[in-house]
Amino acid sequence: MTATVTPLLQVEDLSVAFRKPGGRLLPVVDKVNLTVGVDRAHGVVGESGSGKTMLCRTLIGTLRRHGAVVTGGRILLDGQDLARADERAWRKIRGRVIGYVPQSSLASLNPVLSVETQLVEAVTVAGRTSARDARAEALRLLELVRIPRAKQVLGQRSHELSGGMRQRVIIACALAPRPRLLIADEPTTALDVTVEHKILELIGDVRREFGMSLILVSHDLAVVDEVCDEVVVMYAGASVEAGNLERIRPEPRHPYTRALRISRVDSAHPGQDLEAIGGEAPSLGAWPSGCRFWPRCPMAQDDCRPDGQPPLAWFAGRWTACIHADLMERP
Amino acid sequence: MPGPLIEAKDVTVRFGYGSEAIDAVRNASIYVNANEAVGVVGESGSGKTTLARVVVDLVQPTAGQILLDGVPVIHAGSRGGFPRADRWKVQMVFQDPYSSLNPRQRAWESVAEAIQVWQRVPARVARERALELLRSMGITEDQAGRFPRALSGGQRQRVSVARALAPRPQALIADEPTSAIDQSAQAHLLNLLRRIQKERGLALLFISHDLGVIRYLTSRVYVMKAGEIVEWGPTERVFQQPEHPYTRLLLDSVPGRRVVRRTAAVVP
Amino acid sequence: MARSTDADRVIRKPFAALRGLDPESRWGLAVLVPIILLGSLVPAFSPYHPEVAGTGIPLQPPDLTHLFGTDDLGRDVFVRTFAAAQLDMTLAFLGVAGPLLIGTFIGAVIGTTKWPLVSGAWMILIDAINAFPFIAITLAIVALFGSGPQGILAALTLTNWARYAKLARARALVVGKSDYFFATRVLGYSRPRVLLRHVLPNVYSESLAYGLSDFVFVILVIAGLSFLGAGTRPPTPEWGAMMSDGRLFLTTAWWIAVFPGLALSVTAVGVALVADGLERRSRE
Repeated sequence: MTATVTPLLQVEDLSVAFRKPGGRLLPVVDKVNLTVGVDRAHGVVGESGSGKTMLCRTLIGTLRRHGAVVTGGRILLDGQDLARADERAWRKIRGRVIGYVPQSSLASLNPVLSVETQLVEAVTVAGRTSARDARAEALRLLELVRIPRAKQVLGQRSHELSGGMRQRVIIACALAPRPRLLIADEPTTALDVTVEHKILELIGDVRREFGMSLILVSHDLAVVDEVCDEVVVMYAGASVEAGNLERIRPEPRHPYTRALRISRVDSAHPGQDLEAIGGEAPSLGAWPSGCRFWPRCPMAQDDCRPDGQPPLAWFAGRWTACIHADLMERP
Repeated sequence: MPGPLIEAKDVTVRFGYGSEAIDAVRNASIYVNANEAVGVVGESGSGKTTLARVVVDLVQPTAGQILLDGVPVIHAGSRGGFPRADRWKVQMVFQDPYSSLNPRQRAWESVAEAIQVWQRVPARVARERALELLRSMGITEDQAGRFPRALSGGQRQRVSVARALAPRPQALIADEPTSAIDQSAQAHLLNLLRRIQKERGLALLFISHDLGVIRYLTSRVYVMKAGEIVEWGPTERVFQQPEHPYTRLLLDSVPGRRVVRRTAAVVP
Repeated sequence: MARSTDADRVIRKPFAALRGLDPESRWGLAVLVPIILLGSLVPAFSPYHPEVAGTGIPLQPPDLTHLFGTDDLGRDVFVRTFAAAQLDMTLAFLGVAGPLLIGTFIGAVIGTTKWPLVSGAWMILIDAINAFPFIAITLAIVALFGSGPQGILAALTLTNWARYAKLARARALVVGKSDYFFATRVLGYSRPRVLLRHVLPNVYSESLAYGLSDFVFVILVIAGLSFLGAGTRPPTPEWGAMMSDGRLFLTTAWWIAVFPGLALSVTAVGVALVADGLERRSRE
């Protein structure tokens, strides 16, 4: 896949591991590749244990506080390798170039400070402005995220707001420095479905308006499908399928992606069992040798166990880690 | 044709006093027959969980009553709640797999305890039956010997289901049992619930915010909003011809059904 | 065949458990175990009697015949120090175990009771006891029960239970809001069963952790009471009493007060280390 423009962020063979007592390393992300173009929206889909959360944290440089380190690969942004960056370098980037919307808005907003105070802080951190300008910008941001009665909300505190409103405030804070890339880590998981719809719509609209790139992390392929153009599907620390959603959606070419799709209730035939994936996802440290999905794969073959997880290969217009992708028919 | 197995009549649950009072549930009436799967769908704050907890006698109703086989067993103002002799009839599976099992009990112990209490068998028999029951839920003997912290969310939910089935209940209330687990575990759990509902002829009351799951599992559904039931009826009818605007809003918000917007063309 | 596995259990398992301990606990045990051992061995094998006066030359400095010297009544300080170790550690253990068991149980019950009045009433009592100046209450109880070991234990048990009860109640309140607790109600389990198998097991670990640090406190209380004359009666050797007796001779015969004081400090540090290590492990 040749890019005609320099991508905004290039993640190459990134590996991350937890530091365990005794100097042991517990791998959690294994050689993941991700290329985020300017003004493009990427999704990262995976269940718990897939490594998607740690990938997120690597991309905003908060690994240390979670006891993890980069063990390989590069993260290229503007020619700088962020994988090797220290905290000082990250502080210039985190929030300003790479924005972050976390999953839990309740934990991210200071319950003691008003919304205005926190927005003003986000605005002033981004660049020096006068107090009055900062307050005006705070109001503008609230209106940008479509909060009704924005003036009133400015004076409120986080616990006085509903989940959806809080998430909008968090998004507003993240947008204050006008980052070039926004990473949203399961931003709608804790929200009701009617609110989720609006928040995803907001994220998509704001992204386009600012020409911002987006990485949206979710366990739900449908959520990613709603907002993103490209997707990386993760399983047991590795990316197993990656590419454009227009290609992957109708015709997944990795058994895991396919299994995720057909195990959804929407894909169920009335009166029949759901097509559940057999077995359990491997826990950290217990990754099977060879293809990690092999023990649960409905099309597993004997030669699916080369040394290590198969790397991504270009097939049918997307990257897939399944060496038998050609055997997969349209579901 | 006998009446419903379990029924809530005009249940209201009020928290707080005077002007600060909130009605979590207001005048809700639902019923479930034996051998039937009924859904209650709503968003957070709809009161669906509170209503479910009234049915199992975890929350006292401010007004209204709960009937078991046509006999009122819980009503506002009564202190007793479910007569202990009838407790086995209605059991519950909770939403949060991380707090619904005693962290100090191994999986099989949680189930064996329920068996011992309700099936009145000695400890060794209870253990065997517990392992058997867990095996039928897809929990191996090795997993059964673990503490909850060593099990995945999906496995813990299955242990919870086994524990709920130990008293051999007639009705099972499932309070969002799939909301906190991964999609692959969700599929397993739903298949399991469907199977046991049919096998045991249970009256299953399934609470959820997930319309897809409700549609798949239930034959009748109640839609709740802000403490009230706004619509009810056969699941297919409600999904295909929703009458209440809120039902329509809910259905339109489900991912996949929504208007999808995309950016520019595919970058080759 | 059976004999070798018994030996395995008695010898191998405790050592395996020891290996799992972190360095802090190991240092703590390295300090405590010798003191406990010496506490039983020294009085048994010493040629000197810890209580009988006049058997030796009084106020002798430490030398090869009297490793810790002799006190003003000619008694060997070495044997007295370790006889006191036995007494102090036993009393401290009982002084922690009693309040821990009683307080944790009460706390568990009131933390999960349906009746808010019960919980409220007990909390008033608990807070009142905790608020009272400890010395005043303890001395009052000792005055009632008489001094000596029974007085000390009575004082500790009647007052300290309240701290454990408060701790246990706080934990029990959390347990009482957990789904597995609600499940016991739906499952119709009896109250005793719920308390014994579902509440207490999830509540006691904080009490245990507190108890270990409390051990140090209790040792000091016993020593303090005896120092004030409200604890053990002479001629019973007890660290605090020995320190009190040795006060008058600090400049002339320092060994009478210093060695028991040292033993007390070392024991306190040892227990603190073990407590810290165990707490750290339970946190992981």
